[in-house]
Amino acid sequence: MRLLLSSLFLESPFENLQRHADKVKECAHLFREAAICHAEEKCEEFDALTDRVAKLESEADAIKRNIRNHLPRGILMPVDKFQFLQYLGEQDKVVDEVEAALYWLSFRPKGLPKEIAPDFLHLVESVIPPIEKLAELVLMATKFFRGKSGSQREKMKSLIHDIRQHEKEADLLEQELKGLAFRTIQDALVVFHTVRLVEIVGEIADHAQNASDRMRTMIAK
Amino acid sequence: MDVVILGIATLIGLYMAANIGANDLANAMGTSVGSGAITLNQAVVISIIGNTLGAVLAGGYVTNTISKGIIDPALLAGDPNKLLLGMFAALVSAGICVHAATLLGLPVSTTHAIVGAVVGFGVLSVGVDAVTWSKIISICASWVISPIGGALIAGGIYYFAEKRIMTVKDPIGASERYAPVMIFLVFLVLILSLIFKGLKNLHIDIGFFPTVLLTIPCAAVFGGVGRWWVRWQVRAEFKPRPEQVDYSPVDRLFAQLQILTACYIAFAHGANDVANAIGPLAAIFSVVKTHTVALSVEVPFWMLFIGGVAVGGGLLAFGTRVMDTIGRHITEITPIRGFCSQFGAATTILLCSRLGFPVSTTHVLVGSVVGVGIMRGMGALDLRVLKNIGLSWIVTLPFTILLSMGLYGFLTWVLL
Repeated sequence: MRLLLSSLFLESPFENLQRHADKVKECAHLFREAAICHAEEKCEEFDALTDRVAKLESEADAIKRNIRNHLPRGILMPVDKFQFLQYLGEQDKVVDEVEAALYWLSFRPKGLPKEIAPDFLHLVESVIPPIEKLAELVLMATKFFRGKSGSQREKMKSLIHDIRQHEKEADLLEQELKGLAFRTIQDALVVFHTVRLVEIVGEIADHAQNASDRMRTMIAK
Repeated sequence: MDVVILGIATLIGLYMAANIGANDLANAMGTSVGSGAITLNQAVVISIIGNTLGAVLAGGYVTNTISKGIIDPALLAGDPNKLLLGMFAALVSAGICVHAATLLGLPVSTTHAIVGAVVGFGVLSVGVDAVTWSKIISICASWVISPIGGALIAGGIYYFAEKRIMTVKDPIGASERYAPVMIFLVFLVLILSLIFKGLKNLHIDIGFFPTVLLTIPCAAVFGGVGRWWVRWQVRAEFKPRPEQVDYSPVDRLFAQLQILTACYIAFAHGANDVANAIGPLAAIFSVVKTHTVALSVEVPFWMLFIGGVAVGGGLLAFGTRVMDTIGRHITEITPIRGFCSQFGAATTILLCSRLGFPVSTTHVLVGSVVGVGIMRGMGALDLRVLKNIGLSWIVTLPFTILLSMGLYGFLTWVLL
């Protein structure tokens, strides 16, 4: 026996969005570990870490597909479906960029040029908090869309503001690091590799910020 | 022989009533269990008491010209046995239809099922002209009016709650201000329906304006008590049950208020739907006792009482497992959402019942839930279910008409 009420309700897509955000966060931690490892010449775990990130990325992709495939036309959500999918897309691009950064790192022998290594690790550190906060934001959004609490909205706005600040810092570090690479590295190939790497890492924070902006639109009154 | 006929008729009536409980009432109470406002056992107790009170105090004591005014009984005056068998066929057909729908999870209306069944035997026994087709048109109108009414009231009250309570800086303070108003509104509609229907049952008519003048102060008293109660709840920081721990303080407060709307909808259901099973039964009793066809049939108090209890029993026997599933798996029904849905549904049912529209509790409830969803108040609602409802509108009437015709034809062939 089934009740009509049961068939009326679908699983909230925010629950899957949270799972996706958790995967992205896990990738971010592995990315930091892999980047630190790669900075040293004797890094043995880099490939294993990259494989784990690739695996997590494909799991996140599966969650993304699941969300998209289970949002049929006749579904009524607390937010605009288009905005929700845009948010998901941006959150997914974060993990795509993390994976791309690791692949880009792997194209060159281990060990970063000494001139840029500390600043590069600083940049990596600076893109981790926005990703962590993104997962926190989704958790808050899940609660917000259940209760629409005004104080919860304020907390989310503050978190979105923090993410924006982190992105700004990451942007500054990215520009400084590019300049440093051009000033201190003589080998054009290494400069190209470094600049592109820095850009990819910077894009991680960019997409985290884009995602948080989409969230801001979703919680607008 | 009469005792046997009455015994069988009572059993069939109880079967129909139990099916109504398992389908309609389980859906109506499901939102309370789903939000964690009340436990499964509390839902069953509230259902039995509220539903029985609704049936007895505001139910249809007089079934207007044989079950819902669909056929003219004068045409059957010469042959009361035809009416007897027809009502048997109608009850069985509607019972089977609702039972099958409950098993398949289809959103069938118990009201429409019994209406279709009465039309079926009416057409076969006295012909197409015997059917009051204007009544059928009003049923078709109710298909549209009842879900839209539920959606408008529930959506409107959710919109108000979101703007004035949930999203403001001090939601608890706002709840203290507005929750008594909501309690006032619940009692306003309840008392109005009690006076309009309950006093009518006692053959007392005090007129429209005196009724309103009497109702407003009474509802205001309840609103005042509600205000004191809400303040007391806020000061006591309403100790949550384990399943309510994740809720915001406002939701916890509304979980308490939802006990009220659970009683409200159980009452509205009793007032509106118990007669679906008991009306034809009363007609059968009347024919067996008087051996004539009465133009209108008095429904005895005990019959409404037993009907109310049987509907609650149906919920207990067949509806508890599904309600338990809803309680554990549908986390999207929060107390505020549940409150608004039940408030919208119960108010629409009582208002439509007053206006004489044969509405379906299930359809109104779905309309109310969707109304809250349209106001962006639900996690994820599958509107494809509405297609099933549309289909059930089209299918229920012909299905019960044909089944009732078949059963009536068979019974008259065997027994007359």
